[in-house]
Amino acid sequence: MKLWLSLLMGLKEIGAHKFRSILTMLGIILGVASLLTTFALTAGIAHGMRDFMTQIGGIEKIEITKQDPPEEQSGFADISPGSTVADAEIIQRRSPLVNYVSPVSSLSNAALTRGSQTYRATVYGCWPDFYYINKHELEVGRRLSQLDLDEARHVCLIGQSVVRSLWPGRKSADVLGQSMLINGRPFTVVGVFKLYERASEKARRAQGIVRPGGGNLSAGRSKNYDPFFGKNASVQTPITTMFYDYKSANVVGKVDQGPNYKLDQLIFQLSDAARFHEAVEQTRALLNVTHRGIEDFAFVTREEWFDSMERSIRSTRISGGLIACISLIVGGIGITNIMLASVTERIREIGVRRAIGAKGRDIFLQIIVESSVIGLGGGVLGLGGAFGLLRLLAKITEGENTPLVEPGAILISVGFAIFIGIVSGFYPALKASRLDPIEALRYG
Amino acid sequence: MALIELTEVTKRYRVGEQEIAALDGVNLSIEAGEYAAIIGPSGSGKSTLMHLLGCLDTPTSGRLMIDGIDASRAGGDRLSELRNAKIGFVFQSFNLLPKFNVLQNVELPMIYAGLRAADRKSRALAAIERVGLSNRVKNTPLQLSGGQMQRVAIARALVNDPRIIFADEPTGNLDSTTGESILALFQELSAQGRTIVLVTHDQEIAARTPRRIEMRDGKIVADVRTAAAAESRNPNIEIRNESE
Repeated sequence: MKLWLSLLMGLKEIGAHKFRSILTMLGIILGVASLLTTFALTAGIAHGMRDFMTQIGGIEKIEITKQDPPEEQSGFADISPGSTVADAEIIQRRSPLVNYVSPVSSLSNAALTRGSQTYRATVYGCWPDFYYINKHELEVGRRLSQLDLDEARHVCLIGQSVVRSLWPGRKSADVLGQSMLINGRPFTVVGVFKLYERASEKARRAQGIVRPGGGNLSAGRSKNYDPFFGKNASVQTPITTMFYDYKSANVVGKVDQGPNYKLDQLIFQLSDAARFHEAVEQTRALLNVTHRGIEDFAFVTREEWFDSMERSIRSTRISGGLIACISLIVGGIGITNIMLASVTERIREIGVRRAIGAKGRDIFLQIIVESSVIGLGGGVLGLGGAFGLLRLLAKITEGENTPLVEPGAILISVGFAIFIGIVSGFYPALKASRLDPIEALRYG
Repeated sequence: MALIELTEVTKRYRVGEQEIAALDGVNLSIEAGEYAAIIGPSGSGKSTLMHLLGCLDTPTSGRLMIDGIDASRAGGDRLSELRNAKIGFVFQSFNLLPKFNVLQNVELPMIYAGLRAADRKSRALAAIERVGLSNRVKNTPLQLSGGQMQRVAIARALVNDPRIIFADEPTGNLDSTTGESILALFQELSAQGRTIVLVTHDQEIAARTPRRIEMRDGKIVADVRTAAAAESRNPNIEIRNESE
């Protein structure tokens, strides 16, 4: 018998028992809805996290920091010049796996002043590449240039937190070309970064909802932890300016220790995250030259951190999916149960079909098709249920990561529902197909 | 060769410890175009005989030939095909599918035969017209009277143009008037050359068929032809000799 006819017959049978069929489908509906919702929620979280990871520089950003040299080198560790601009220069010249590199000399808790307004933030003395490595984006103005660096100009790029504190109520464009003091020395603002915020914040702002405390520009240590607080408070200036203005004297106990041109940080970005370890080894070899073999530096990578984030997303997805799968399986058992009852109810019909020429496999197909249609119907209705549920969840938990329904997740959920339908119909179908025609005809 | 030939057919059932021979060495042959009744009290083996003839079951031993095909050794699928192509059943309790309308019920055997939808419909409509129910095509069985239901069942049995029609107590659930009209329909079909085998315990009905095969305790105890039948066909004994 043709599959198409079996399908029609299955639909007819289901249509003849609408209420019972819906009840049977309910387990599958709920299972698919919860499976898809779990997938959508975790996909939303994963999307938000990856977004955030990219915003803070991504996995391709690597940082080199100071480290105490190993014990066997401690006696002659002085031969190393430590971390200097030369490190950045050699990486720039010699490491083909590195896209951008920037030395960083920073001034923490610097006083930014304009008139009577003061805002405290960290000022980064850096190369123009710093902008790219940390994935900044300008709202207005320009980036730092090589000329700024060469001439040690008193120019700076500032984030939105600085704008709002020093020029309250003013637009970013108005701030361009204005001056402010960094620890008493005047700097001209040449660029203003755009506001960095999570996708959910952006959505909220688009809807015109303003949280008390000024959204994500409120204090970084408030209840509402904002991962972009530091990025929004960023101030960048040429590293040369930083050295000449703030690092040329190092007064400790009223005695000038001389200039401190050591770097606080050295950051670079890989051109290809897939060649991560290769790049690290290459850079290590270069730094071994500039540091004269003294291992007084260490690589800080986000590899492990990102890995653990990915792992936690995955485990959330798996555990959620597992629970949803259990409800799907329970739904499948419901189908088996109903199909068994339905086969018993139709023993005589099966006998008649056999008598007029149906083969065992025709009967098998009929029952299997029926249960798969129930599975498919449950899957499709569950899909609708999932979208409803997601809307509801989005309303309740506003500000969290927006759930993301991926086509693959839909495919998996509905496919699994059909699979459950087929599997749960298997035993009843087998039972029906093995009925003895004579006894089936006599039944009831 | 006869349309149906049974040679030393035995069917045994195991009931608990005991083995019961429902059929015990039955020899029988039915020619194409015959109208026969199998008669006997309950437990005589007439139902078992009909199940074997109808390819619903296979004998424990002996040989069963139907239209030149050995059905005694056929597997389940082969038997299904035989039933579908060569045999039409009419049951005492009609056995129509209640969720399907008249047309769909009659189409059912052709679905299993693998016919195209257009062919199915035209053939089903012809069969329904043959039994005089053309005005009831879209009704479901529950909207029909008993006699009409049995007519639908006969249409269903006819639709695949089978070699033999088996009717198991076809008038058992009908009042005498309706039963009469159903028997008249069988008479007509027989007159058109159909091979029909009736199973009944009603002597009166059996008396109206040209041939009566009487069963008792798993054996054929009498095989009688009326004069009219004897004139037109060879006597039973001769057929047996032919087959041996």
